[in-house]
Formats: sequence, C-alpha cells, structure tokens
Amino acid sequence: MTDSLRETSMWLPPMELDPGCAARIVGESAAATVAPAVVSSAADRVSPESAGSVAARSSTAESSSPDVAGRLRGALSWASVILKPGHGVMKLMLAALGALLLVALGFDAADLLQRSFASSAALGMVVLVLVAMVTGTALKVALDEIVNLRRIKHIERLRAEADRLAHSVGHGEASAFVEDLLRFYGGRSDLVVSFQALNKSVSDAHNNQEVIQVVERQVLTAIDQRAYRLVLNGARDTAVATALSPSAAIDLAIVFWRNTKMVREIAELYGARPGPIGSISLIRRLIANLAVAGVAEGAHHVAVDALGGSLAAAVSARLGQGVINGLLTARLGVTAMHLCRPVGFSPDHQPSLKRIRSELMSVSKQVL
Amino acid sequence: MTVRWSSLSGLAEAGLRMFDQVGGLLDSSLDSTIRLGVTGLRRSGKTVFITSLVENLLKDAPLPFLDVVVDNRFQAARLVPHPDLSIPRFDFERHLATLTDAEPRWPEETRGVSQIRVAIRYLPGSTVRRAVAPLATLNLDIVDYPGEWLLDLPLLTVGFAEWSRRTLDLARRSPRAELAGPWLEWLNNVSAMSPAGEEEAKTGARLYTDYLLACRRSSFTLSLVQPGRFVEPGDLKGAPLLTFCPIPMPIDVPVPRGSLGELMQERFEAYKTSVVGNFFVKHFSRLDRQIVLVDVLGALNAGPAGMSDMQAALAASLEGFRHGRQNWLSRMFGSRVDRVLFAATKVDHIASNQHNNLRTLLDRLVSDARRNIRFEGATVETMAIAAVKCTETVVTEHQGRKLWCIQGRPVGRDAPTVLFPGEIPDGLEIFPSGVEKPYNFLDFRPPPGVGRDGRGAPNIRIDQALNFLLGDYLA
Repeated sequence: MTDSLRETSMWLPPMELDPGCAARIVGESAAATVAPAVVSSAADRVSPESAGSVAARSSTAESSSPDVAGRLRGALSWASVILKPGHGVMKLMLAALGALLLVALGFDAADLLQRSFASSAALGMVVLVLVAMVTGTALKVALDEIVNLRRIKHIERLRAEADRLAHSVGHGEASAFVEDLLRFYGGRSDLVVSFQALNKSVSDAHNNQEVIQVVERQVLTAIDQRAYRLVLNGARDTAVATALSPSAAIDLAIVFWRNTKMVREIAELYGARPGPIGSISLIRRLIANLAVAGVAEGAHHVAVDALGGSLAAAVSARLGQGVINGLLTARLGVTAMHLCRPVGFSPDHQPSLKRIRSELMSVSKQVL
Repeated sequence: MTVRWSSLSGLAEAGLRMFDQVGGLLDSSLDSTIRLGVTGLRRSGKTVFITSLVENLLKDAPLPFLDVVVDNRFQAARLVPHPDLSIPRFDFERHLATLTDAEPRWPEETRGVSQIRVAIRYLPGSTVRRAVAPLATLNLDIVDYPGEWLLDLPLLTVGFAEWSRRTLDLARRSPRAELAGPWLEWLNNVSAMSPAGEEEAKTGARLYTDYLLACRRSSFTLSLVQPGRFVEPGDLKGAPLLTFCPIPMPIDVPVPRGSLGELMQERFEAYKTSVVGNFFVKHFSRLDRQIVLVDVLGALNAGPAGMSDMQAALAASLEGFRHGRQNWLSRMFGSRVDRVLFAATKVDHIASNQHNNLRTLLDRLVSDARRNIRFEGATVETMAIAAVKCTETVVTEHQGRKLWCIQGRPVGRDAPTVLFPGEIPDGLEIFPSGVEKPYNFLDFRPPPGVGRDGRGAPNIRIDQALNFLLGDYLA
C-alpha cells in the first residue's frame, strides 16, 4: 500500500513546460561557446565522482599561472611521488640523504664563493654567475619535470574517469570529460581534425558510454595507429641491431637506448612528454606492467613467440637473440601505449602484437 | 521451428529457391549481396527507417559507430537498379522529399511491396582481400511492405479450423468483443454445415473486414490483425481470394461437400498458398539479416491490452523465419538469418536519459523470441533508435525537481515546445496501478531542414544498428 503510494507520488504525468527555462544538455559543439548560464548549471550538476575532474581543471589552471604557492604545492606533490608509501623507512632515508646533500652542496657553494671573492672580485663574479646558472637550470629542469609529472598524473586521472564512464549508461558527465580531454590536448595541431570529427559525431542522444566509445574511435585510434608504427619501428630496429652487433655490451647499450627513445616517443604522442625522471619512472612502471601487452593474445601466440625465437636461433644464435629482443621491445611499446593512453583500450581496439611478430620474423631475411 | 519445409508448398518451390541460390552464389563470388529484412508491425516506422538509412549511406553521413566509416575505408554508396524487375522500386526520392519538404511530413502508409538496392563501395580491411580486390562492393537489398502483411506469416503453420477457433476466442474477449459485435452476431445465424452461398461468404468477409479495421483504428491500437490483406489488400482488392472469414468448424465430423465451411476453408488454403506463401518465398525466405522495429512507445500509449496484443503479434510474426548460423551448406539451401536486431523506434520522443530504460523494456518484451532465436544459433541484440531525430533533450526545473525534457514540434502544431514526456518504467511493473492512461507520448514532426547540410538525416544509433547488421560484411 505504502509502496504504491510512494510510486504515484514519484510519478509525474506528461506535461508541457516553459521553454524559457530549458537548458540544453551541454553538447560538445556548445562547449566552445559556453554561456554563463550553462556553466552554472553544469556546476550544479557536479556529483562527488566528477568533483575530481573539477579539481583537475583548477590544478591545470594553477600550473599555467606561475604563482609561488602553486609551485610549492607542485613540489610537494613531486616529493610525494618520490616518497611513495611502501618502503617508508627507505624512502625517508633517501629523502633525508638528498636533503643533506643539498645542504652540503649549498655550504660548499657558499664557501667556494667566499674563497673566490677573497682571491679576486673578477673570479668571484665568474663563480657567482656559474653558481647562479647551475641553480637556475636545475630549478628549470625540476619545474619542467613537475609539469611533466603532472601531465602523466592528468592522463591517469583521465583514464580512471574514462573507465568509470565507459561502464555507465548515465548522461551528461561525459561532456565534462571531453572538455577535459580537449584541454589536455589543446594546441595539438595534428588532432584538430579528429576533434572536429568528434564534435560532429556526438549528439545529446549519446550516453556516457557511447561518448567514450566515439572518443576512442574518432580521436584515439588515429594516435594508436601512429604509436603502433613507432612500436613496429622500434622492435625492428632493436632486432636488426642486436642481430648485427658484434658484442653483448653494445647490444645492451643499443637495446636500452632504443627502448628509452621509443617509450619517450610514444608518451609524447599521447601527450605525456616525460622528462628524464618521468621517463625512468615510466619505464619502471612499464616493466612492472609488461604482462599487459600479452593479455589480448592467446597462449598459442606466446608459443609462436618462443618457437619463432628458437627457429631463428637454429639459423643463428645472434638472429634468435635479435628476434627475442625485438619482441621484448614490441611488448614494452605496447605496454607504453596502454599506460599513456588517456582512455583505456576497449576490447575491439586492443593493439595486437600479431603484425609486429610477422614483421620480426622477416628480420632474418633482411639481415641475411 | 519445424515449420519451414513442410509449410512451403511443395518441392517445386524448394527447387526454384535452390536454383535462385545457386545463381546467387555465383553472383556473390564477384560481389557480395546482403538482404536486410526490415520487419515490423504497422506504424513501427519501416519506411522512415529505410529512407533514413539509405539517405545516410548515400550522403556519407558521420556514422561514428560504423567501423568502415571510422576506419576511412568507406568510399561511397549509390542506388543501383535491382536485378529483379518484377517488384516496384522503393520510392526513396518521394519519401525523402516529404521528409525534407519546407513543411516536413512523415511518409504515407505503405500500400504495397517495394524494394531498393544500395551498392556500397569500400576498401576491404584485410590485406588478403585487398590483394584480390582493391575495391569491394556490397549490394544491400532492402524490402518495404505494409506491416499488416507480416502477420500473415504465422498463418502458414495453422489449419483453417484451428485458426478460426483462435481468432474467435480472441474476438470474444475484451477489448475486441465490442468491436466484433456485428460479425459475431452474423456468425450466430450461419453454420459451417449449411450449404454455401456466395452472398453469404461476401457478407461474412465484409463484416470480418470491418471488425479488423475497427481493431486497427481503436484506441488500443490492436496489432494482431489477420489476415493482413483484408485491411491492406494491395493488388488483390475485391479478389474472391479475400472473401472468407473465420467460422466455427465442427471438431470431429468433416464438413460436407458444398457447405459454407468447406468454401471458407478452401479459400483460406488458397490464400495461404498463393498470397502468403508467395510473399514469404519472394521476400523473406532469403534474408541474411533482420531488424525488427518495435514501436514500444505506441504500445505503452495503448495501455496493457495494446501492449500484450503487440507482444503476441510480434511473437507470432517471428515464427516463420529461419534463424541460425550461416555456412556454405545453408547458403545453398536458402539462407538463414544469422543476426537479428530488435530496435525500439522513435526513441527521440523521450528524453535521452530514458533511452536505456526503453532498451531494457524492449529486452523484456521480446525475451521469449530472443531466447528462441538464440537457441537456433543466431546473434541477437536490442537497441533504442530513431531513424529521424526530431527532438533535442533539454533539462528544466519543475517544482524543485530537475526534469529531462524534449524540445521539438509535435504533430499538428507549428511552434516548438518543451515537453516532459514521462519516464519509462525500469521495474517489472510497466503500468503503475491507479493511474488512468499513464503514458501519452506525443508524435513529433520531422525537424525542419533535414539533410540540408548534405550530411544525411539526423538520427539516433542508426550507425550502431548498421554496424551490427552489416559490419562483418564490410570488414
């Protein structure tokens, strides 16, 4: 009884309403010319889940304006990257050691300055300029690194949000995501066409899930294809170089250099632009996630990998090593694609190692 | 469904079909052809769907969910003459003209069969196929027909006595009983055993036709109207084939020669073989893919009686098809439908946050048919689509509640309006108790300026439907 009462009180009859107070669902084409009224209604709609994206917006705004507080907070967040929980004591020790070193360096520099000024003013000036240059460039590098780390974090945030939306049949939240993505890729001339196509394809009828799918189809598949080509090139280069290189040490150097370069290129393509520290942390995470690359592949592919390597090895040990190194590079590259993509791969768009594999099998022909 | 072979009248037809198939097989080695069955009861929007689909293909519209378009492999599509010249061509241009007119209207009701062929040129996705043919063509055949005729298909499997019994049962129940009055009265005065008279048969058929027409007109929008040619005769207007009606047949004794019952039975059988069987063999027995359009909103408007009637009609009309996975053998012996899409049409008449509820509701309505088709090995999917998108979803405040509304021009009005159309039930209880006529989804006029930008008609999920139906052929 009460149940049905509640039902009828919830239930609203069809009715006509005043067209004056109707607000459009923010379509992507409308996003460019956001009217103030629409903004306020969008802000009203912020749910706890999408609060993260708002925070993201404000944080990107801060990073572009060079105020001290923002930098300080950035530095703190950078420190928190280094000071990850887990090996807490170890981290603390490392941090303390680093601080100690910095202090020691500062004292040394001050000491050096004093001594050079004592010997002659000219020498003092030169040393002062040098110290200033070192400090300045070090600061610049650190700041760049912070910005880049933030971009990587931004990608992760985008991916988490996309993941959530990809499983939601709700409406209206996806447009905020698309705006965020547009802001992230703002200024990329190579993506203008893709975003235009996206604008044309998304309508108010699409739900969150569908918008994410369109984003993947219209914007990301184009990037995926280019990234895939990078992986292909990287894998082939590594394979050929390993097969031809005369010594294991050179091998190692080549593989390391080529892999780092490839990962950096892929990350840049997806908009991550990692600096030296970012690259290292990226590669570390890559190695931890290496298994991701093989998820879409069946067991028989792994067998083919092994067999391919041993077949090539039967022809020549170096060739076999080349093929295996190439496959490893390919795996690394595909994992990098997984980690740098702002929207997780949907099952139909998983990059596959199949083409790379067949390409690598022909390396023996190229080399011999 | 054991219907297929036994119901098709005899070996001759089977042979003819096989001959057709062999010819088709030769054809398909050069170009592939796909026959898309657009199935739907009357007023479910078949004509508009076909028009919008063809228009969107021809105009190279942004169809973000059609793989071949997103991968940039789609070259172009155009209309080509159909090799079967005996069937009128679907009057695409006229239907499009009514839609894109300065005063846009919906196309008129379909009165007869027509068909159209769209040739789609695309680059094959696989390297092997590209090596064989750099540019491939897919011929898409679509048939349009009055939805009423679809309900003739289940007749193929029943005898006259059985059909009469069922129809009479149905007619004596509410809400049909009020509409069937004159005809039922006439039935009281005649007997299947009495000697046949042409006048008598004509009167019966006339009264029965009136009853069927009344069903169609009624506020419940009853869908189960058999035989379809009585209300939509096509080229058979006034033919003696249509002068029969259900009549209570004696159960254990055969009807005597020359009786009214025998006459009716004979005509029913003749109708089955020469009208229904013909129609089925010609248009439905060779389908590759099928989309079943369902006007769920119309059924909700019609109330519980209309809803259950539509469900029964839909279930009956799907029985005759051959579903299952394709292989080369089944290609030889008449194709099977290996993908079926159930689509709730006119989804633009509700706000976009209700689309998913509508889809779920449709899922529930067709769950039996769905299971059957799955069992036979075909893939089934449900979607909520709109062939021509007439409204825009907007949000407005009403008494402190945020309502998702639609903005558009309802049929019969000039000014656009904002309408809260009501919400689609997401629970098991479709019709809330204690509310008189809970649903009233208005019809909307086509938006002005359809296709004026040269990018096809605005639509909702036509591309997803196309990708499900044709995607693998365009791989």
